[in-house]
Amino acid sequence: MTTTNWIKLEIPSDTRNVAFARTAVALFASQLDWTLDELEDIKVAVSEAVSNSVIHGYALQEGNVFMEVSYHGPELRIMVEDFGKGIEDLEAAQEVGFTSIPEERMGLGFTFMHEYMDEVMVSSELGKGTKVTMIKRVKEQES
Amino acid sequence: MQYTCELKGQALIVTLRGELDLHTSPEFKEKLSKLFAANLDITNLIMDVKGLSFIDSSGLGVILGRYRELEERGGRLFFVQANPQIMRILQMSGFQKISEFASSTSDVFERI
Repeated sequence: MTTTNWIKLEIPSDTRNVAFARTAVALFASQLDWTLDELEDIKVAVSEAVSNSVIHGYALQEGNVFMEVSYHGPELRIMVEDFGKGIEDLEAAQEVGFTSIPEERMGLGFTFMHEYMDEVMVSSELGKGTKVTMIKRVKEQES
Repeated sequence: MQYTCELKGQALIVTLRGELDLHTSPEFKEKLSKLFAANLDITNLIMDVKGLSFIDSSGLGVILGRYRELEERGGRLFFVQANPQIMRILQMSGFQKISEFASSTSDVFERI
């Protein structure tokens, strides 16, 4: 059996679809040998990335969120992209507690992504959108 | 997501079931805000999270908001029966510094 597989998803920017996105990605990711905790980690990271696109990228307005999820061997790669507002200061946005909506948010979205995934890369351009790529690797089991 | 709210003395017991995220948190936030506004004597918020299967920063933000109200009233926040995954995200978010963990609501009432 091939050790490579991928899916692509395009979903409307709608809060209802956040649960769908994290569940679909977790279901796909479960083709690899994760622990239940690790699968939960993936769900949280995806939930945060997609929520950011819905809330900040499209500001709860119309737009589509694009996702590409793939694995090659033990490495899972999740890309979440929107073509919304973009992020002005990427470094500040990834600091713990940073939020542009302080009365509503904790500013922990990127913190959770960094904590739960092995690598997180973010690229963004004002007025054009944001792309988050997250990588998590299956850990070798101790024998 | 389903939840129930029960007022018991100066405590508000909230029992959560399901997933608290960007979609489910606004209505939950509104309900709690109304209860807090209508019951100024609430000084203990007891979150029974045994049935909570998922929470992210959107859901945590709602709880943090209510904690800020509690803080102004000199109140306390409790989490009851958090499973290991919920406990981990609570700790990562710093909730262990501002809240207390308990094994049951009766355990909480013994402490308050």
